[in-house]
Amino acid sequence: MNKRKITMIAVITLFGCCFTGDRDAYGVEVATIAEGLNVPCGVAIQPETGHVFVADSGAGRVIRIVDGKIEAVITGFPIDKYGKGPTYPIGPLGLAFIDRDVLAVGGGGFPDAKDLLRIYNLPKAGAEALKADDMATSFSIDATEKLAGEGNFYGLAFNGEAIFATCNGDDTKGWISRAGVKGAKVGSFSRAIATKELTDVDAPVAITIAPDGSLAVGQMGEISLPGDGLLTFYDTATGDKLANFETGLSDVTGLAYGPRGQLLATDFAWSSPKDGGLFRIVAKYNKKKQGIEVEKVVSLDKPTAISIDSRGDIYVTIIGSGEGASGKLLKITK
Amino acid sequence: MKSRLLKINSPSARFVAAISMVCIMHLICLMCFTLNSLFAEMAMADKPHVQQVPTGLERLKVPANNELTAAKIELGKQLFFDKRLSGDNTVSCATCHDPEKGWSNDAAFATGVRGQVGGRSAPTIINAAYHPLQFWDGRAVGLEGQALGPIANPIEMDLNIVEAIARLSDIPGYRKQFKRVFGTKVTAEAMAQAIASFERTVLSGAAPFDRFKAGDKNALSVSAQRGMDLFFNKAKCSSCHKGGSFSDFAFHNLGVGINNENPDLGRFLVTKQEGDRGRFKTPTLREIHRTAPYMHDGSQKTLKEVVEFYNKGGIENPQLDEEMKPLKLSPEEVNDIVKFMVEGLASEHYPQVSAPQLPE
Repeated sequence: MNKRKITMIAVITLFGCCFTGDRDAYGVEVATIAEGLNVPCGVAIQPETGHVFVADSGAGRVIRIVDGKIEAVITGFPIDKYGKGPTYPIGPLGLAFIDRDVLAVGGGGFPDAKDLLRIYNLPKAGAEALKADDMATSFSIDATEKLAGEGNFYGLAFNGEAIFATCNGDDTKGWISRAGVKGAKVGSFSRAIATKELTDVDAPVAITIAPDGSLAVGQMGEISLPGDGLLTFYDTATGDKLANFETGLSDVTGLAYGPRGQLLATDFAWSSPKDGGLFRIVAKYNKKKQGIEVEKVVSLDKPTAISIDSRGDIYVTIIGSGEGASGKLLKITK
Repeated sequence: MKSRLLKINSPSARFVAAISMVCIMHLICLMCFTLNSLFAEMAMADKPHVQQVPTGLERLKVPANNELTAAKIELGKQLFFDKRLSGDNTVSCATCHDPEKGWSNDAAFATGVRGQVGGRSAPTIINAAYHPLQFWDGRAVGLEGQALGPIANPIEMDLNIVEAIARLSDIPGYRKQFKRVFGTKVTAEAMAQAIASFERTVLSGAAPFDRFKAGDKNALSVSAQRGMDLFFNKAKCSSCHKGGSFSDFAFHNLGVGINNENPDLGRFLVTKQEGDRGRFKTPTLREIHRTAPYMHDGSQKTLKEVVEFYNKGGIENPQLDEEMKPLKLSPEEVNDIVKFMVEGLASEHYPQVSAPQLPE
């Protein structure tokens, strides 16, 4: 067992212990921050300002919430369709801040190999919105002789050195791709971790950086099969799999650590939406072997992404089940 | 002491003593035999069965309320092979899931009582232990949830479960075993648990592919090695046929039979979700050369036919899987993939099981 793995396990143990104390008292309040969204699929909190940014995917735009109001930040993203029924319009997907004013946006509106990871220098709050093509730089991942091109960059995570993006192009490999970052400059973007070869489960979707610096990934698995979602940890430098846990969740769409190290996940539960919601994941030991325990915090209607601010307030986007633009940004507090 | 010795020394006393000794010895023998039988039965009933999992397969998950025991597996085997569990005593589970025929039935469809033909092929039992959802459309959860379905199905075995319980209860050998294994009379739950336990032991792994993966570079022929590379890359077979059993246990639409006058809608019939129209469960590819014909409707007779079907990208329909696109495989590449499946996924330790002697 390498040093990083030991560290990671220690971290999980720590937050597991933290949470055990107030397990029974875990009550939450759910407030709607924004509604009328069209398949929102990404959420990120801007450093310093605390503004919440949302990828309003089906509307082809990125918005931010300023003083409780929706403000368009980037508009005009291409839109594609996802799913075989229900079918959802998707455009921009994952969001991650590289710096206070530099935002990475994962694209889902083009076919595989054409989708873009775009990097934007953001306008200040209140300024005119950017056009989608006004990015500072962008990247795609082409097909090779053996590998399909990549696309649908659903989840993004930034660890100070690189952006990691979950990809949904090649179902035989389930890639996480990586783009190195120096200062606010983003380098080349390429395939890094073939998660399916390491876990036998497809579709990495949710992604975040764990407190110990490892990469925490929610493997969505097959949308037609309930309960096959995984939580897997990878070494960001080597791509080695550090730990892998069956979650019992169906389609993990979001992962985020709170300020005390607590890990929360959203489950879309594609095949049985009534089972979807926000879940907390805590460490559990059985005969000295580490496992996890997953408990539902609150039921949510098709949750797609999660972010937690420095105060521990939880922001979740949901698609909702209503007609038209029934998507919402929710704020969940204890 | 002396007087006693004297008494025994008399002829009549010696005779009585000898008879007594014989009786006591018989009694002891009888007690030993009875205790021995009792202990043997107890040992068989209580002995946990540690199922050996062949190389290449994942850890076997066994429900906490249905641990494997030797006696339970044996009971399940008897039930699996017993035609008395069909309405007219002509069909057993093994009729359609025949170990001699890859634990399937060598035909496009399952044939039940009175020659009735079902609408789907009989899926193999091999590695069914790993499938979270059973049947082509996943309508049953786990082996326990599946086990009684075909018995009650009017087209398959056509015996309602109440009648099945009554029949088994009339057979002393079964009554005794249910009592021993479950501590109960014959019940539906116990029947399901016993059959599921037996099915959980029907595993196939440890094939040339597994040896190759473990480092034996001579385990696969050159053609099969080329086929393996195609399988996991260009041909995208591993998009769905992955893991130890070469199945994601999920449901996919390939377009098979979708243009029929009344197409089988598969998983949609269970979930009513549009996206599930025409989706069927991914079968295992272990021992696949034994389980022709292929697909849920047995419409493809050979593995070559199957690979050529994929090579064309399946049959277009609104729910066709996104991975189903023309593969541009050459005829040689098609043959290599077939070679990989036939040669690489056939175990030398095929789970061959003979029909047991059935209780009377």
